[in-house]
Amino acid sequence: MKKQYVTLTVNGREYRFSIGDGFGQVPPSETLSQTLRKRLQLTGSKESCSEGACGCCTVLMDGKGVTSCMLLTVECDGRDIVTIEGLEDPEKGLDPLQQAFIDEYAFQCGYCTPGIIMAAKALLLDNPHPSPDEIKEALSGNYCRCISHYTVLRAINRVAGNEEDHTAVMHRANDDVENPIPVREELFPSPYAYGVPGDNALE
Amino acid sequence: MSKFEYRDIKQPHYRHIGNYTPRKDAKDIVTGKAIFLDDFSVPHMLYGKTKRSPYPHAKILSIDTSKAEAYPGVRAVITHKNMPEPWGLGLPVHRLLMEDKVYYVGDVVALIAADTEEIATEAIDLIDVEYEQLEAVYSAEEALKEGAVELYPRFKGNHVDNGIKYFQPDGPWWQIIRGDVKKGFEESKYVAEDKVAFDKMPAPLAPETPCCIAKYEGGNDYTIWASSQSAHILKLMGEGRIPNSNLSVKTFNVGGSYGNKQSLMTTVLSAAMLSKVTKRPVKIVLTKEEQLMSYEVRLGSTITAKIGMDEEGYVRAIEGDWLVDTGAIADSVQGQVGVGLGEAQLVCAKCPNWFMDSHIAVTNKQAAGIVRGYGGQELNSCLERLMCTVMKEGNFNPLDVFKKNYIAPGDRFIWRDGRWWQSRSSLFFPEAMQNAADRFGWGEKWKGWNVPTSVNGTKARGIGMGVIGNADINEDNTEAIVRIVPDLVGSHRASTAIIECDITESGMGTRSNACKVVAEVLNVPVEKVSITEPGTKYNPSNYGLCGSRGTITTGKAVSLAALDCKRQALELGARHFKRSVDQMETKDFMVYVRDTPELSIPMFKLAPKELSIVGYGKHMEMFNIPSCMAIFVEVEVDTETGHTSIVKVAGGTDIGQIIDSKAVEMQLHGGFGSACIDTAIFEECILDPATGRLLTSSLIDYKWRPFNEFPPYDAYIMESQIDSFMFKALGIGEISGAAGASAVLMAISNAIGVDIKDYPATPAVILKALGKA
Repeated sequence: MKKQYVTLTVNGREYRFSIGDGFGQVPPSETLSQTLRKRLQLTGSKESCSEGACGCCTVLMDGKGVTSCMLLTVECDGRDIVTIEGLEDPEKGLDPLQQAFIDEYAFQCGYCTPGIIMAAKALLLDNPHPSPDEIKEALSGNYCRCISHYTVLRAINRVAGNEEDHTAVMHRANDDVENPIPVREELFPSPYAYGVPGDNALE
Repeated sequence: MSKFEYRDIKQPHYRHIGNYTPRKDAKDIVTGKAIFLDDFSVPHMLYGKTKRSPYPHAKILSIDTSKAEAYPGVRAVITHKNMPEPWGLGLPVHRLLMEDKVYYVGDVVALIAADTEEIATEAIDLIDVEYEQLEAVYSAEEALKEGAVELYPRFKGNHVDNGIKYFQPDGPWWQIIRGDVKKGFEESKYVAEDKVAFDKMPAPLAPETPCCIAKYEGGNDYTIWASSQSAHILKLMGEGRIPNSNLSVKTFNVGGSYGNKQSLMTTVLSAAMLSKVTKRPVKIVLTKEEQLMSYEVRLGSTITAKIGMDEEGYVRAIEGDWLVDTGAIADSVQGQVGVGLGEAQLVCAKCPNWFMDSHIAVTNKQAAGIVRGYGGQELNSCLERLMCTVMKEGNFNPLDVFKKNYIAPGDRFIWRDGRWWQSRSSLFFPEAMQNAADRFGWGEKWKGWNVPTSVNGTKARGIGMGVIGNADINEDNTEAIVRIVPDLVGSHRASTAIIECDITESGMGTRSNACKVVAEVLNVPVEKVSITEPGTKYNPSNYGLCGSRGTITTGKAVSLAALDCKRQALELGARHFKRSVDQMETKDFMVYVRDTPELSIPMFKLAPKELSIVGYGKHMEMFNIPSCMAIFVEVEVDTETGHTSIVKVAGGTDIGQIIDSKAVEMQLHGGFGSACIDTAIFEECILDPATGRLLTSSLIDYKWRPFNEFPPYDAYIMESQIDSFMFKALGIGEISGAAGASAVLMAISNAIGVDIKDYPATPAVILKALGKA
């Protein structure tokens, strides 16, 4: 018999949708991403490529990370969905992963961030202490173009209890001022600088 | 000249500047509450879709929209035949939004507005179009040949105007003509001539596709909500295209742009036209496929040049011709050519003799537009490969050559405005290059030209480097207002400061940095400072985020506005305590006497009742503080398979002063994104010459670097307190990866012992060079 309803639990609340092409109904062609973003106004997860390649729409389904643009809502009957909006505990506050993303500045434009956080959450639910390589592998399906990869890895490694991630290092020359960097003779001043003989060399 | 050393520079201690401060919108971003355009809607909104050309060049013989118009839920179908007004595209305007001809695959054939996205999408296929295919051209070289098929009557021989008034107020400027090239080559000991092309026009590919909502407000007024990183540029360009219009542009968080989402002209005009016809707001969100196949990409760049170098490694003469492919729409390309030519002079700043010509051509490819790197990267990718040829002749260590030739204070150059400028930037760029090189291990790893650093079986390693600079970081004017808003009921702790400045957040943290700068000047906590929502209508004018200008220009405008506020508060306090202004200090919205701190008064008691203290600040355009970025890469090439991987990267710069330590680091990492470093290995748009269509139309076909393939990145940053504005900082993001592609090709050439000059150096290119394919 053709199913008439689809029931989803989203962020702890149960929704029952009628299936069909009528106004307000969920058509069989509707993706989970569309249901979440347009119907439930849960716009945290983003839809970027619509073909499962970028991971921006990642949500948890029964604790596993899925790309919601690749699933039809009608297929998700009885499933338990958690989106980025459901990760923060109303009483305890931010999930440790979310806090680590703030502390490490693990985003730039923030468009792919909800997907990355949910993919990382899925990994940590499955394996609370993944190795740095396992973390990289788990995120290999998440597209980020601002290049926040290094700080994202710092944040997740921290939550995973790994040693501080040193894949990227920033060295500030001022840290050396007490013990100065080797002084070099060649600073290559301009032959045209004011006050040197070649000042009028332009003519 | 007395010797001035880095350690002599007094390093200031700030309350906020230089540290990491979590961004104002950090919590919204990690909880999914941050609003991007596609998360937003306007009541009574329709959805727009575009019917696009399947051919690179064709005449529309007939077009039948009757089935689409009759489709339930379709509210309007617009084609070239029923456009309400002839809105143009390009700078200078050289075509209309829709014509009876199409000029590239993805060109606009018809616009549809419907009740839902699905209906609009279905209606696309209900429009029947009959085309007559025309001959197409796919490269600048081909397009500029005599007898080539001509795209537009406006561009004779496909040649785009050299320079336009907007970028060059004194008249067009498109050539570097300095000194005597003939004499320069006579003085040169080493001369090399070659041709290099960076012409695969890769896509910066922001995760959020370009999108906008346009609402016709009646009369000549439109409200535009757009995923633009610069509302001001959108307004400027849009009002030039829609006759007599007045646009109020509003922006949200932008899901990545990399300079590429500024005017969004085709998309915005399409939505605005549909809104004008339907009298309802219309939203257009491009699909990823549309973004890849029809949205703006990097310029195509081919350069033929001869470079002369003296025995010390100074470049003495450059003679060349730069061909620029701007695709089917020429929009802002003259500015990019100007910046490219300017940046060439920063890298070869000691060269007195130049004859560098440029030619811009339109071709039947998707339009090239503005992208991070802005002409400079496209030229640098070619020019530094050519410099390698001459450095190799003289067997120079490239590090020495780049250090010597890079612009120093006092050196002069012509920038994109066609005017002469004299650098007053850092003296320490060569040291930044050397120190980054030392951390990278350049000295030990450099074995000579086309000599690998190490070989292990089939794996050969090599190193390369590149240097680039940009003087746009001070470009365009900006103004800001800062208001100290005293608490109405009288707690100084509840007082706040508000910045009025039009800044969009597109990932660089500029909005938060502006708050940080104001908090530093006023000596208040950062959380007490906030900034107005971005938009052109109710904010003082800010040109927007482009050319890495955000740091200096908004930094200067808001810091001067805050200083203006502070001065007024101190004056009020001085009058109150009968002291001179010089004796007054302020902290946390209190004014006190410096040597008698118990004499203090909250600002709300000083300001007139109910009113705030208002300050104004502005930045005026100049081009005399170039930035610098040196990048070092080590690659490993598998000589059996031709596969290249980057194993280590280092970057070095003198940034003047770090505003936010984590933000600046990520600006440097950004060199891996937005079609920079990887355009040397795998990033390209692949055109099928038989159909004129791209084969790279999805995120699966277009190659990008995933999380598990990022090499160690070692950044080295000096802070020499450059005289840019109150906090001595420079912008860097524009160029952080711009010299990366040429560095990678140098590294590959060294690894395999054969010169590689093709972008990208795919396994096929490498195996061919090794004689294995």
